[in-house]
Amino acid sequence: MLFRRLVLYALLVGAVAGLVLTAVQFWQVIPIIQSAEVYEGEVAPPIQGGADHDHAGHDHEHDANAWTPQDGLERTGYTLLSNVLTAAGLGLVLLAAMVTAARSSTTTRIDWRHGLLWGASGYAVFWLSPALGLPPEIPGAAAASLEARQLWWLFAVVCSAAGLAGFAFGKSPWRWASLVLIVIPHLVGAPHPEVAMFADKPPEAAAELEKLARQFYGATAVANAVFWLVLGLTSTWAVRRIVMSNAIHD
Amino acid sequence: MQNITSTAVAPVSSTISKPLQIAGTFLLGLVILYAAGFVNTSAVHNAAHDMRHSQGFPCH
Repeated sequence: MLFRRLVLYALLVGAVAGLVLTAVQFWQVIPIIQSAEVYEGEVAPPIQGGADHDHAGHDHEHDANAWTPQDGLERTGYTLLSNVLTAAGLGLVLLAAMVTAARSSTTTRIDWRHGLLWGASGYAVFWLSPALGLPPEIPGAAAASLEARQLWWLFAVVCSAAGLAGFAFGKSPWRWASLVLIVIPHLVGAPHPEVAMFADKPPEAAAELEKLARQFYGATAVANAVFWLVLGLTSTWAVRRIVMSNAIHD
Repeated sequence: MQNITSTAVAPVSSTISKPLQIAGTFLLGLVILYAAGFVNTSAVHNAAHDMRHSQGFPCH
């Protein structure tokens, strides 16, 4: 059954890409999160009369008593699990798209170049496009409301996926016009807080956090590029096997 | 008699069309991504915290 095959391959592809992602994160992403967390609880002394000081941009606070994985092995384990789950979810979406493309394609040849293209497209859709408007945040940064950011993230992903798909698979000579879709979320603009990112921190902490935030942007860009390279290539391997077993056509 | 038994045993996979199976795969992927990246329950948020920050999902 095609569905079962796709799910099994997505789990396999997700396990490989999730493991690689976790390794890359541990080398350059997680250390930045941990450095930022040192400052997360720090709040600048309220300005005179600021007794009702509100948390800048934090309209959403998590229950401090809620379960949290303990630092160390437990936290690492949950990060690995989340990475593998996310990679499997993206793998399911990617495999479904790749198999759909393979069904309507006249050639049966699928090689590593397809993997690079699909991987690059996934990176552009799921990381680059949302990150251009909403750079990955380090803990402690002020941001617009979570719901607004999630909505915009979704908007950016859907528009860039539709724009790229229209360009790649459209039949009309005007298919390049669908690329305009990619730009729309950025013209609308991502939601941002009214205050500076670290306005509620003491000045020296804010300066340090701004440096960390810049490093974090670069580090996540690299980690996600490696992740999508692995996801694109392993998914191509999976689709080749599925196509070879002649399972994609009715 | 033999003809009847051989037609009765159709493979289960042929009952659901391939496009529908592919759509099911796609939807399952979206559900997993929603759970890992978007659900805002404190426990789920805390477990997935580092992944959400690194993958650019809006967090906090």
